[in-house]
Amino acid sequence: MIMNESIQITGLGVVSAAGLDLAAALLSFEQGVRNAGPVSLFPTVMHYPVFEVKHLPPEYRLEGWRTLSLACIAVDQALKEAELGDVSGLRVGVCLGTTVASQLNDLEFYRSYRKGKTESMAAVDRFLKGNLSEYIARRIGARGPQLTVVNACSSGTDAIGVALSWVKSGLCDIAIAGGSDELNHVPYCGFASLGIANQELCAPFDRDRKGLNLGEGAGVLIIEKRSSALLRGKASDLFLAGYGSSNDAYHLTAPSPEGVGLRASFITAMREAGIEPQQVGFVNTHGTGTHDNDLVEGKVMADLFGPGLKMLSTKGYTGHTLAAAGGLEAVYTAAGLRAGWIPASAGFRTRDEAIPMAPVQEKTLIKASYAISTSMAFGGNNAALVIGREAGL
Amino acid sequence: MKIAGIGLVFAQGLGMGALETALNRGWVPPQEVEAPHIPGGKTPAYLVNLEALPDRSVLKKIRRSDKLSKMSVLAAADALRDCGIADITKRKLGLIVATAFGPHVTTFGFLDDILDHGDAAVSPTTFSNSVHNAAASYVCNSLGINGPTLTITQFRFSFQAALQLAQTWIDQGRCDYVLAGVVDQYGDVLGYVADHKLTTAKDGKIKPFTFKPTCQIPGEGAAFFLLGRENRGNIYCGIDAVHTGQAPDRGKPEDLTIIDADGMLPDETMYRGCLSPDVPAAAYAPLFGSMMIGSAFNTAAGALMIKKQLLFATPVADNPAGIRLLVENGPASVASILCAGYNCYSERSEILLTKV
Repeated sequence: MIMNESIQITGLGVVSAAGLDLAAALLSFEQGVRNAGPVSLFPTVMHYPVFEVKHLPPEYRLEGWRTLSLACIAVDQALKEAELGDVSGLRVGVCLGTTVASQLNDLEFYRSYRKGKTESMAAVDRFLKGNLSEYIARRIGARGPQLTVVNACSSGTDAIGVALSWVKSGLCDIAIAGGSDELNHVPYCGFASLGIANQELCAPFDRDRKGLNLGEGAGVLIIEKRSSALLRGKASDLFLAGYGSSNDAYHLTAPSPEGVGLRASFITAMREAGIEPQQVGFVNTHGTGTHDNDLVEGKVMADLFGPGLKMLSTKGYTGHTLAAAGGLEAVYTAAGLRAGWIPASAGFRTRDEAIPMAPVQEKTLIKASYAISTSMAFGGNNAALVIGREAGL
Repeated sequence: MKIAGIGLVFAQGLGMGALETALNRGWVPPQEVEAPHIPGGKTPAYLVNLEALPDRSVLKKIRRSDKLSKMSVLAAADALRDCGIADITKRKLGLIVATAFGPHVTTFGFLDDILDHGDAAVSPTTFSNSVHNAAASYVCNSLGINGPTLTITQFRFSFQAALQLAQTWIDQGRCDYVLAGVVDQYGDVLGYVADHKLTTAKDGKIKPFTFKPTCQIPGEGAAFFLLGRENRGNIYCGIDAVHTGQAPDRGKPEDLTIIDADGMLPDETMYRGCLSPDVPAAAYAPLFGSMMIGSAFNTAAGALMIKKQLLFATPVADNPAGIRLLVENGPASVASILCAGYNCYSERSEILLTKV
């Protein structure tokens, strides 16, 4: 069954180095605060700055399950805004993206395994009980479909897109969707090995950009059919209008130089939303601060939307949070539409002549009904979400 | 939606021909593989021997990839070849790769790097291949798939989740066809974990109808299904329903129930709840090994039986509970087959296959 009923966004939840909730993040954005520093979560000889979430509330500290802890914070915030308490009688699906929580990469477990001294299976048990979507669904009593997306850095965006398909198809009435990832030793070493981690703070789209900073966090949307929301007496000004996803089929780690997949994702998402490029108020880009990513993304956006498009990267405030990025950035995009402003794209100073457009450099007012959040990922994945706002609600 | 092509690689070979041969032949003993951390230093397992496969030309471009990716590409290419639709990659073709454990062998290789050489001296190639969606990327690059591409993990219900999503993508017009598949690889660490937490079958036989106590033999492989709505291709059957959690009462019984029992749960007595004295039952895990993604291989067997109007006996018929088992191979009128599974929370999944 395909239905054209509007899919409302009735709840937003977010936690990152920019703030433990949306209000705190918006304050960081407005004040230009960048909460980066050295790694404190694990020992390392390397000195790449990271965006860690400090002061995790004690009630959310799950030993060995930091990714799940972060997800729980964001989910609870989103459920609260959506006024969803007991969900057991509702058809609620859970679709979340992660990278870290999908892997049994516990270094201490593996070190003891190599020595032949593995007596404790605690790390294995945590892994087997820690499927992100399954854990959240069981925690809140959701009985609809569950799916954990492991699409690398586009996982959060793709998870929200999957949830949109679920709700449209009638697989569930309400979906909890987004992404969560902790700062972890293994990808920290991995991104450094690829030569794309930055010794300084990241500078997305800047001429002198030198790579990304890793971060951590979680971002979650509650989406539901308008009829479901109305039945609960809930109204929202925000809606999820479209999703596009496409693969470059080009290279395991490098984006297609022409941005084939990204372009297709933009077009598909706008087509589903029924809008034209000129209706897009701004784009919250993937914008990692790596040379190739920003170049491709800038070229594709300039071509599709024109060089005057307002765009930014919020990774200057959060770092690259991997699978959480799509969730965080969807929340910030929705918040930007609702608040009517977007912050300066942190870290940008000097225009790159190879990129035919530049991000906003100051707090910028937005008067638009639509905005887009994008993700690009290892594996050639590209994804875009169109988020809308109805004025007057 | 319909199954318009199937490709698979498992311990007994590549392709539906190999599966049919295995189903006809019945149970064969597993290999003995080196397992340094398991008492005795060896363990039985059903492993894929890539070197022994007849056509590996599709792997030429991905020599640096790991076994998980190679199995994925082989099975995905086999599914597209099996469908026989010449212009299939020109259509709106999506890809969903479902895996319970992902590239864990490569991940542990990367951990070896960290432990042996330190944080700053690890291999970028190993890291890139340790990302969960590396296999999907190699499939797209090798076969020219540009549509939506997703890698998902939901342990025991990974395959079912992939089918549900494929159905929505097709219904909503996001794709004309979806190549939905599963892949998992055996490795020393997970072999050790399975042996430690479960019971390994000393006689080499998974006994799906023993229910408790259970015994497992690790397996590995990949199985991909080309799914679409059109009546083109090498149509096997329809997939009429996919349920996880609660399934509605369908009213009439199927011709066969295939269960996913494979010894990966210490107690599988819940499977009795999906069996009926009126419907024969089978389980084919003894042919390919214990895997959380085993549903896909059972579904491939079911699809083959509907297409060929043949039934294949359950390969290991130990039956202390007196279940009505399918014990003979032969022609039959097969209109529908139910594939049923359970996860560790005793939640049930169902995939209903029907003759088109």
